[in-house]
Amino acid sequence: METLLATLPFLLDPSILIAAFVGVTWGILGGALPGISPSITMALLLPFTYTMDPAAAIVILASTYVGAEYGGSVPAILIRTPGTNAAAATVLDGYEMNLQGKAGLALGISLYSGFIGSMVGLVLLMLLSAPLSSVALAFTPPAYFALGILGLSVIATLSGDSLVKGLIAALLGLIIATIGTDPVTGSNRFTFGSADLLGGIEPVMIMVGLFAMSELLAQASKRGEVDKIRSRPRIEFPDWPLAKRLIPSQLIGSAIGSFEGVMPGAGGTIASFMSYNEARRWSKHPEEFGKGSPEGIAAPETANNAVAETAIIPVLSFGIPGSNSTAILLGGFLIHGLQPGPMLFEQAGDVIYGLYAGLFVAIIGMMIMGIAMLPLCVWMVNRPLPYLNAVILALILSGIYSIHGSLFDVGLMLAAGVLGFFMRMLRFPFLPTVLGLVLGFLVESNFRRSLVLSGDDYMIFVDDRISLALLVLSALFIFGSLARRVIAALRKENRLAFSEGSEG
Amino acid sequence: MITRDMVGGAAASLIGALYLFYASQLRPSSLADSVGPQGLPLVYGWLTLALGLVLLAQAFIAVLRASPAERAKQADAWSGQGRRILWAAGLLAFAVGYLLIVETLGYLLSLAVLIPAVAIYLGARFGWRPLAVGVGGAVVLWLMFDKLLGVGMPEGVLRGLGL
Repeated sequence: METLLATLPFLLDPSILIAAFVGVTWGILGGALPGISPSITMALLLPFTYTMDPAAAIVILASTYVGAEYGGSVPAILIRTPGTNAAAATVLDGYEMNLQGKAGLALGISLYSGFIGSMVGLVLLMLLSAPLSSVALAFTPPAYFALGILGLSVIATLSGDSLVKGLIAALLGLIIATIGTDPVTGSNRFTFGSADLLGGIEPVMIMVGLFAMSELLAQASKRGEVDKIRSRPRIEFPDWPLAKRLIPSQLIGSAIGSFEGVMPGAGGTIASFMSYNEARRWSKHPEEFGKGSPEGIAAPETANNAVAETAIIPVLSFGIPGSNSTAILLGGFLIHGLQPGPMLFEQAGDVIYGLYAGLFVAIIGMMIMGIAMLPLCVWMVNRPLPYLNAVILALILSGIYSIHGSLFDVGLMLAAGVLGFFMRMLRFPFLPTVLGLVLGFLVESNFRRSLVLSGDDYMIFVDDRISLALLVLSALFIFGSLARRVIAALRKENRLAFSEGSEG
Repeated sequence: MITRDMVGGAAASLIGALYLFYASQLRPSSLADSVGPQGLPLVYGWLTLALGLVLLAQAFIAVLRASPAERAKQADAWSGQGRRILWAAGLLAFAVGYLLIVETLGYLLSLAVLIPAVAIYLGARFGWRPLAVGVGGAVVLWLMFDKLLGVGMPEGVLRGLGL
């Protein structure tokens, strides 16, 4: 109730309202473009958030994520090409409905189910994030170190088919995080005499390079053509009998999406496919799945939209991003000098309540803009890729330059793009690199501060109860993931070729 | 036969070794704590080097244990990759070229050159359309960044005109 009362005033804040509407609109457009994932859509926006008020900046990024999850279903339904990975399950029945002349209804079910999934996710976000603020003041340097280790332990589940590759990717991030001024002595490390590197490398340069620039380089190397949308559909919402029929699949989607959103590395794609399977299993009409079943759209779309909100819970509570999109959101916090985690609620409660209000507005905005933007989405998807990519490249180069007015920053971003291109080619996941990058400073500075405080006694990490609990949790995470890998190897099961974070 | 994991392992080992070399060159400060500025970098360097070698070893073992059909599939994984790298390098060259000219030509003119050049490189037909998109895109981005957001973009040769 207290959270709700603190959130209400932000619903009248014009900067939050504008940020939510702009974010969700940008998200729908970006999500609708095949090859442009929610994380890339968010990364393109990241440089613009520098000059914004922190609450509005976080709202515009989070709203983009919400919009992109719906936007991905537009090309999935109309041209059998998912705009986002999470919309892949929507293709199965969405495109079939399109072939049956029901594209408008399929888009309506997607939008309406996304609305329900997002609302359920937002309620959970508000309920689950706040209680952690009560332990904030008990966090000491050993506890922060352990929190960083907990974040890094997530890598065990984000590494796809090869744990070794995931660890190498994380080390790359940790290595980049050591460039600049040493956190304890203030001496220079790996700056090679460059004044531009003294302050270290900001995560935003690496994130935009890894996600957006490397995608452009990969698209330049493929030169594929995307189908054109020939129809001009209008969104139709389901009537009451159909809406009643969709309730069980939407409940399944909400439950699975909410659970998977909180779990690191799971993400919208897995949640969508799991929801689809479960909806089929519990459906009264399982034979219709794959042939244009409305439930086959409702379940995955509810799930991937629920993920968009609940995936923010570990970011706000622990500062740990479980997916590429939430890693970009974390970057948004870091840009404004906010370190997500237990102290965030103490230090920047207004940003959190602004975020809750902004997400509520964005979800309502998704319904409005989802209907209004459909013709523009169709127009954008039909634009020739060479023009679109040329303008995106210009936008990335301009956006990075605008941060500090530095061409050196643009060069760094291009270097990160090259790194990302080769990581894609060699099948290394991105997300561990981003985790290493954003957690590297937290881990190193608090590890060394703890040892200074304890007179080099390593028992400080065990004596501190929060630190001990977090380290035990990290160990459980790592051993649990390793055990799953061993069991899968013994059963000779094929793991996913990439983690959710690899972007394929 | 060289697989992706072999290349990945070798690259990681090389990065680890180079980083380790530079980390070992860091001079400890008299103000340093017991771990020091080089403490964790040395750990990261050794771990990267070791994991790179593990990946390399895993890749060699996988090749040795692979069936002829699997080997053929792995060998095919490289087909066309050289061409892909060249196409990507071409796009990167345009971006680097932009960096080199933007301070001289200015933001507006550089974008008006970059956008059509990249569009044509990526497959758009040469003609008035890429030029129109280039000029239009450059003006829209210039208005957005320079005028709306107030970012001082490089003016270059158009300095006299205030653009």
